[in-house]
Amino acid sequence: MPCERKPMRYGHSEGHTDVCFDDEGKCIVTCGSDGDVRIWESLDDDDPKSINVGEKVYSAALKNGKLVTAVSNNTVQIHTFPEGDPDGILTRFTTNANHVTFNSSGSRVAVGSSDFIVKIVEVVDSSQQKTLRGHDAPVLSVALDPSDEFLASSSCDGSVTVWSIESQTQVAQWKILQKSSDVSNAKSLCRLAWQPRSGKLLAIPVDLTIQLYDRNTWTHVSTLSDDLITQVVNVVVWSPCGKFLAAGTVGGNLLIWDVEAKLCIERQKHEKGFTVCGMAWHPSGGRIAYTDTEGCLGLLEGVSSSSPSSSSTIQSKATASKETNDYDDLFDEDDDRMLDEGMSDSRSPVKKPIMEDDDDDDDLMPATGRPRNRGSFLDDDDNSQDPGSVKLDGVPEEDGSSAILPAVVPAVSRPVYDGPMPTQPQRAFQPGSTPMHLMHRFMMWNSVGIVRGYNDDQDNAIDVEFHDTAIHHAMHLTNTLGHTMADLSQEAVLLACEGTDELASKIQCLHFSCWDTHKDWIVDLPKGEDVRALCLGQGWAAVATSALMVRLFSIGGVQKEIFSLPGAVVCLAGHGEQLLIVYHRGTGFDGDQALGVQLLQLGRRRRQVMHGEPLPLSRKSYLAWMGFTAEGTPCCIDSEGVVRILNRTLGNTWTPVCNTRESCKSKSDHYWVVGVHENPQQLRCIPCKGSRFPPTLPRPAVAVLPFNLPYCQTTTEKGQMEEQYWRSMLFHNHYGFLSSSGYEIDSEGQSQAEKEQQELLMKMFALSCKLEREFRCVELAEMMTHSVVTLAIRYASRSRRMALAQRLSELALEKANQLQEEEEEEEEPAYQRHTSREYRGSNQMSSRQAQVENGCEEEEEDYPQEEQMDAEESTETRKPSLNPFKKGAKSPERPSPKPVSKEGRVNPFKVSGAGKSSSSPAGQPRTTNVLDSMTMSSRKPTPLGGTSKQGKAPILKPLAPKPKSKTQATLLQMSASKGSSKKLEDSQLEAEKVKPAPAATPPASMENIENRKPKTGFQLWLEENRKSILADNPDFEEMDVIKEGMGRFRTLTAEERLNWTERAKGDSDPKKRKREDEGQADEQMETDEGSAKKKKPLDTSAKLSAFAFNKE
Amino acid sequence: MDPAEVEFLAEKEMVKIIPNFSLDKIYLIGGDLGPFNPGLPVEVPVWLALNLKQRQKCRIVPLEWMDIDRLEEIREQERKLDAFTPIPSPYYMELTKLLLNHAADNIPKADEIRTLVKDIWDTRVAKLRLSADSFISQQEAHAQLDNLTLMEINTTRSFLLDSLNYMYKLRSNLQPGRSQDY
Repeated sequence: MPCERKPMRYGHSEGHTDVCFDDEGKCIVTCGSDGDVRIWESLDDDDPKSINVGEKVYSAALKNGKLVTAVSNNTVQIHTFPEGDPDGILTRFTTNANHVTFNSSGSRVAVGSSDFIVKIVEVVDSSQQKTLRGHDAPVLSVALDPSDEFLASSSCDGSVTVWSIESQTQVAQWKILQKSSDVSNAKSLCRLAWQPRSGKLLAIPVDLTIQLYDRNTWTHVSTLSDDLITQVVNVVVWSPCGKFLAAGTVGGNLLIWDVEAKLCIERQKHEKGFTVCGMAWHPSGGRIAYTDTEGCLGLLEGVSSSSPSSSSTIQSKATASKETNDYDDLFDEDDDRMLDEGMSDSRSPVKKPIMEDDDDDDDLMPATGRPRNRGSFLDDDDNSQDPGSVKLDGVPEEDGSSAILPAVVPAVSRPVYDGPMPTQPQRAFQPGSTPMHLMHRFMMWNSVGIVRGYNDDQDNAIDVEFHDTAIHHAMHLTNTLGHTMADLSQEAVLLACEGTDELASKIQCLHFSCWDTHKDWIVDLPKGEDVRALCLGQGWAAVATSALMVRLFSIGGVQKEIFSLPGAVVCLAGHGEQLLIVYHRGTGFDGDQALGVQLLQLGRRRRQVMHGEPLPLSRKSYLAWMGFTAEGTPCCIDSEGVVRILNRTLGNTWTPVCNTRESCKSKSDHYWVVGVHENPQQLRCIPCKGSRFPPTLPRPAVAVLPFNLPYCQTTTEKGQMEEQYWRSMLFHNHYGFLSSSGYEIDSEGQSQAEKEQQELLMKMFALSCKLEREFRCVELAEMMTHSVVTLAIRYASRSRRMALAQRLSELALEKANQLQEEEEEEEEPAYQRHTSREYRGSNQMSSRQAQVENGCEEEEEDYPQEEQMDAEESTETRKPSLNPFKKGAKSPERPSPKPVSKEGRVNPFKVSGAGKSSSSPAGQPRTTNVLDSMTMSSRKPTPLGGTSKQGKAPILKPLAPKPKSKTQATLLQMSASKGSSKKLEDSQLEAEKVKPAPAATPPASMENIENRKPKTGFQLWLEENRKSILADNPDFEEMDVIKEGMGRFRTLTAEERLNWTERAKGDSDPKKRKREDEGQADEQMETDEGSAKKKKPLDTSAKLSAFAFNKE
Repeated sequence: MDPAEVEFLAEKEMVKIIPNFSLDKIYLIGGDLGPFNPGLPVEVPVWLALNLKQRQKCRIVPLEWMDIDRLEEIREQERKLDAFTPIPSPYYMELTKLLLNHAADNIPKADEIRTLVKDIWDTRVAKLRLSADSFISQQEAHAQLDNLTLMEINTTRSFLLDSLNYMYKLRSNLQPGRSQDY
């Protein structure tokens, strides 16, 4: 019957190891190059007793409570067993001993050393020694014959010698080994073994075979070999009964022969194919312990307990088991990797039976095409230790496979299935946590802080640390409930543990921002329902359970909605009011996962944004991280390191924005992501050398990766700019989302982003112009805003591309029309509603309105009333809802707490403050101004201007539509009269440039002029220009001339016009004039506008700026 | 120039810190610093790093040369060669002292680093003294000393210059025919 190979576990540091059982077989004793002897109660013993016996231990033997070790200080020492107290030195050599062994009674010890000598020492009296000299090279191994008559030794000189102990002479010698200069160079350790009890046979590993020699005749009796052995045999051991012989090879094969039948009855392979250098048979038989040169300990269970009845069945079964174990290799590889990383693997007993089930399951599978599939999906299980989920996950897999394989029975002829194989679904995980089986692990690392879990001998505890100590001080909790999952937000820590047989699965929430005295609450889940994933949002918590359910809680512990999921959950993520759920949509094939994603809005207006759309992942990868960017855009990262972000403007599609593997130096390096920020564009992650996740110590440092969209030809300038443009577009989508969901946004950042995008477009435009790609130019112009199109027209006409300019002007016209229409649609209702309202910019108004509309639909009807009330208390500006993430996510983007005048604290060194608009409306609830005096600043938005979307525009905002219609006029005109088009264009552009502020003046001054009786500037101008107008259009009537003249006059710059008016008045003091003029203009305007729209009183600063423009 | 002044200069060196507070860019004469995001490394001058550290507002990330292996290599190099070897930072001594005095808890193996840097310093200063000695005894007119740091020059300068002055005075007194009026 096939034996079961237990998974390897870490025993010693890398290097030579040896293993033996104690007399009763209760303990396994191992020694290794770290100088320790460890006593294991069982393979699962997490806390083996460790005895340090020296710097390095080469060999150990145990009998009658005496532990004999060959140590690197050239001695052979005795320790008591199991106490491990030193019991003296047995013997010394001039160099180190290589192998020690007891005789069957335990009275003598034989030692072979590197100084060519073999010694036999009485344990009781170490003075009674026998020295056997004759080898010409270091002695590899010694073996005492059960009847204490002979001693066999193998040496690097290539010989195996049998000595008579009594006479200390050589009885027989075979030169059958390969010669080598030293033990370290020897191909094989060549551990010899006498058949127990009778001692009839001596087994010698020679190359790929095992030679058996007869005791009496010293002749070669038989050879044991197997096809599986491809590398030299290192160790041989007899079973206690003497019927079976086990061998371990350099290639990591473990084989057992029935000696009489010369039949190989068991073939096993070391998980990772490391060299087996120590083997021991349990005194009762039935199990074999073995160690490898990497310091790991393994166990074969259920060996040869049954005698070989029918060799053929055994043969086939053995091969079958071999196959199984090949898969097993793949399966266990991951665990080993973790082991290698120094984490001790604590396999829970719960898991084993399940694992076995799994293996049985494999037995039923046809062999073809299987191993690779398993390999690929098993790459993923960082969480493979999760006992419960194995069980859960196992079920769908079995279903899937049995559906595809209708008659999978261990029949003689198995049906061969060549189609795609189902992937094992990945287990539920917490994004930002390291695998659960680690003793020290990160339970959560996010933008708020770090939750670390310790689960070692001394302590089972959880540390919570905040990046920003202003949120809360660090916490240390004892983890009595055994929490394995955690999430952390600015308000609370959420912890959860899975249920056991007695205890239900529990959710614990430490609501540290709570203002009453009860800062935490615990909820028990119904019996049999386990927490699988959890997350925190703003004011709520969500928990996904094994019952395929999502439970929502308020942060204070009120149970809220529950709903079912269509599949097993993979992970949850929360941000603000958004809840993101990833679950198994079905069974994936060929290594792919089939995941679905739901996005829910949990605010006052509840809705589902994404309804279980498939989540795109790279081929043969699984989800590694899922969450939101600091700005609230869903983002996912798969095991191939591809970061994808949700593009809300393109129907909730996922756009790959970065491949972290590209920045890895080596193939085994990974980046462990801890956060994604859109503004500035940062991917915050921890570089991990040679692993997927970081250890808790030394404290890992966060690195920042840039985003890079995989656009074509990014080596060319065009590709680069395209990538930049679309990246900028993508990463500024969140402004739209935030403003539409009622959060206030950093308008300055937004306008800056827009500017950047338009600049990029302009650059691309220029590039295409240079390349004479005019069609492309128009395509680019279509993406531009109206004002930039005019720039593009200018560029085109300057570079003498009239056809292009023509097309662009048409485009500009179209855009202008569109813009106007939109504006009319937008503004008119607003104006009607808000006539009585003063002190409030139209844009702020509309954003407010949007907020209200979004906030509550049912309140819509009450809107006018509410407005009324608002208007009454209009002096009090309502505070827009603060965007909590700006601060929370700690994005540097957040509207800077600019120390401008209002705060009363001015930074005289500030360089860039001047040009920016001084109003940054976003409140900053908990900013800590470290360098100054740690003041908190929470600011209300300024009532006037600033909030407007155009940022810099806005003093005379209500007039904004006017210049636009004017532009339109000029454009029409331009297309009509081509001759003067260029000049007009330029002047028009000029006007466009100075559009916002001086916009008020031209019409105003015009009206002034008309009101005044004597000669106005326009009349003067007309007198001078009449001729030229007439020359251009000889058939004009007087009225036409005046009209045309008006048109042209209007296109003059403000300055010029002013000149004309001044000239008309003949005033000598221009300054005074202007002031007056300005004042009049104001008056004029106020009377003009008072009727139609809300107006803003022109304060002095407005006047000043208008003045500045005039003067220019 | 006294050591305090040299140390003051060293404080302008940049070092990475991981702040545990959030602050926007700060605008200083010497340039803009920040923005500070909790948990995200940022480069600041040593003076600010130490100030923040003392107020427990940050962790300091050890300078990349503050590494046992690297320093040991430098030490061996320094001992092997007669000339001065290039040093990873022109203020290595000052920075080591400042950072280890104030932020030893953030620097792994602080004591070993301190010893190593002290070793390097001792070796270099001994070399400097030796070369000054041979410079004087051989009555050389000039000597070339590369890779010296400011602090090292500072330790020997005043003494060397004064002694050279005195020697010059004494020597010129010895010469006959020179008037000793002055």
